Amino acid sequence: MTLSRSACSRVMTQMNRDDERSLVARLRAGDIDAFDEVYGAYRPKVFAFLLRMSRSRTVAEDLLDETWLRLVRHTRDLRPDTRIGPWLFTVARNLYWTYRRDSLVEDTYAPELALWPSPAPWPSPFELAAANELERRIERALSALAPQYREVVLLIAHEGLTPTDAAAVCGMTPEALRQRLSRARAALAEKLHDTAAVAALNRGYGT
Amino acid sequence: MTFTDPHRDELLVMVENLKTRDVSQRHVDRLRNQCRAELQARTRRNAAFGTVSGTAFRRFIGPALGGAWSLAYLLEVIRRAAAVYGF
Repeated sequence: MTLSRSACSRVMTQMNRDDERSLVARLRAGDIDAFDEVYGAYRPKVFAFLLRMSRSRTVAEDLLDETWLRLVRHTRDLRPDTRIGPWLFTVARNLYWTYRRDSLVEDTYAPELALWPSPAPWPSPFELAAANELERRIERALSALAPQYREVVLLIAHEGLTPTDAAAVCGMTPEALRQRLSRARAALAEKLHDTAAVAALNRGYGT
Repeated sequence: MTFTDPHRDELLVMVENLKTRDVSQRHVDRLRNQCRAELQARTRRNAAFGTVSGTAFRRFIGPALGGAWSLAYLLEVIRRAAAVYGF
């Protein structure tokens, strides 16, 4: 299933603080409708983030399930001022890194152990499903980024988190996140080869 | 977003415009039902506990019981020690 960016608005990410507090209060009280609101708004975002981080639909689906189950198991522990979006992305990110550590330990004989994994030399089903060439190129470039870079680009650019929220999700200071984002953008540009290609692709995307 | 380098902004805009992915409708429904069931079960459990909720127990009742038991234990140790030494 694919949603366009316009269909899946950023309203919930930048939700009014009063509305968010009210939603958290209802969640803490076990309100099913409040859960449905959060689930409907954030599920595609969290899944897209996990899918692009893990580069595996199966893994992303498992981590998505666990993220939402963590939410419903911890609704009573949510602080009244909890930011739902950053909270969900923090859980999803931590689950991803736990999964990644576990799979590295299991894969003892992997030649890339302790190094960043190389992107698969063949296009994944996810890449093949990308709507057009530009998306495919960007997805491929993103996929080739180191996960630490990929996560900041996704959280800031795709999920619309503020640098402060993204820094909290990643467990770093906003300044450190800005520096990492800068390096990530440079790496992304490099992956997209040269500026002419980027400009051409960008023109094609804009029209 | 406020970025100073316009060329680099283009990169992030391209990332921003990538499609959002979602799981299948069957998966959406299954997960929603699972979460709802979990949420309802927790709500019922908390209601059954009444005022002795998990939070109240953790904050007040648990420490009070533990403290009382520890105090009684300590007093008994002192009493027996005193008895051994003939006080």
